[in-house]
Amino acid sequence: MLSSVYNMPAALHGDTLLNDTKAAEKSRALNRFLAGIELKAFKIAQAGLRHQDDALDAVQDAMLQLARAYADRPEEEWKPLFYRILENRIRDMQRRRTVRGRVMSWLPFSRGEDDEEIDPIAQAPSPEPAPQARLEMSEAMTALEGALHELPGRQRQAFLLRTLEGLDVAQTALAMGCSEGSVKTHYFRAVQALRIKLGEFQT
Amino acid sequence: MRADTEHTVFAERAQRVLEESVSHIDAHTRSRLNQARQAALAAVEQPQRAAWRPMKLMPVTGALAAFAVAVLLVFQHGGQVKTPVTEGSANSLEVLDLLADDEAMSLMEDSDRSFYEWAADESDGAAAAPDSASASG
Repeated sequence: MLSSVYNMPAALHGDTLLNDTKAAEKSRALNRFLAGIELKAFKIAQAGLRHQDDALDAVQDAMLQLARAYADRPEEEWKPLFYRILENRIRDMQRRRTVRGRVMSWLPFSRGEDDEEIDPIAQAPSPEPAPQARLEMSEAMTALEGALHELPGRQRQAFLLRTLEGLDVAQTALAMGCSEGSVKTHYFRAVQALRIKLGEFQT
Repeated sequence: MRADTEHTVFAERAQRVLEESVSHIDAHTRSRLNQARQAALAAVEQPQRAAWRPMKLMPVTGALAAFAVAVLLVFQHGGQVKTPVTEGSANSLEVLDLLADDEAMSLMEDSDRSFYEWAADESDGAAAAPDSASASG
């Protein structure tokens, strides 16, 4: 009796420690994962939304949803799940923007999205003169981002997930919620369309 | 085969451009992404800490809800608690009244019993008539 009384708190204490350790490990793993993908995820969101704040919001929402709903899933599933959530979020925001645009066009004196106040500091040219190589890269980036935006959503998604994020066909299919054959088709068409638009751009 | 190679070369160039653009993301955006990540991590830790609260507050909440329902019922019925009255219980109340009333009892005893028996037979006959009519029809 005495031993069980003394054993019980020790066992409970041990369980709590184990749970805390597991939670801390999970938190660290999630932190590593999110830190590893956040920049590329932002770029992908920006390519779809062409708006910095909206892209940040989309990435933040995707991070939160992944953490809340899928943190307990195996780590190897996180990447396709995250990009699936992100793509849904991007699509929602695009739809909302379309609806808002239609409503705003009916309102008199409405301010368009492009009428946002411009931050003069952000718009100021960099004091450092850009070297030729950097300028060319910057031009290539602008051209590629513009061409990506003109692609159909599914093609853009397949291209960015495969090229920028480096997902394989199976992971891309999971992220896009379609078959591997569809991923291959979307990717092929995306590359074809980009090549027509950009030519063999040099980097 | 040649088209595949060209596609691959193009994709590799595009990859270089995209990775370069990722490396040029400004500090402000990086900071905001970091904040978003911290918020997501906090969301993972919060439910575990707060999980015990609803469980602990459940009996208190239940008791409060029961009390509120009781108060509502009392005030809705003006403080009178009504019991359901069925047809049978109404008849038994009438019988009790009759038994308690001495005058009514003496009237019953003194009066012509045959009249009441006839009345009872008549009412029984009237109740049985539709059944027989339906049986014959």
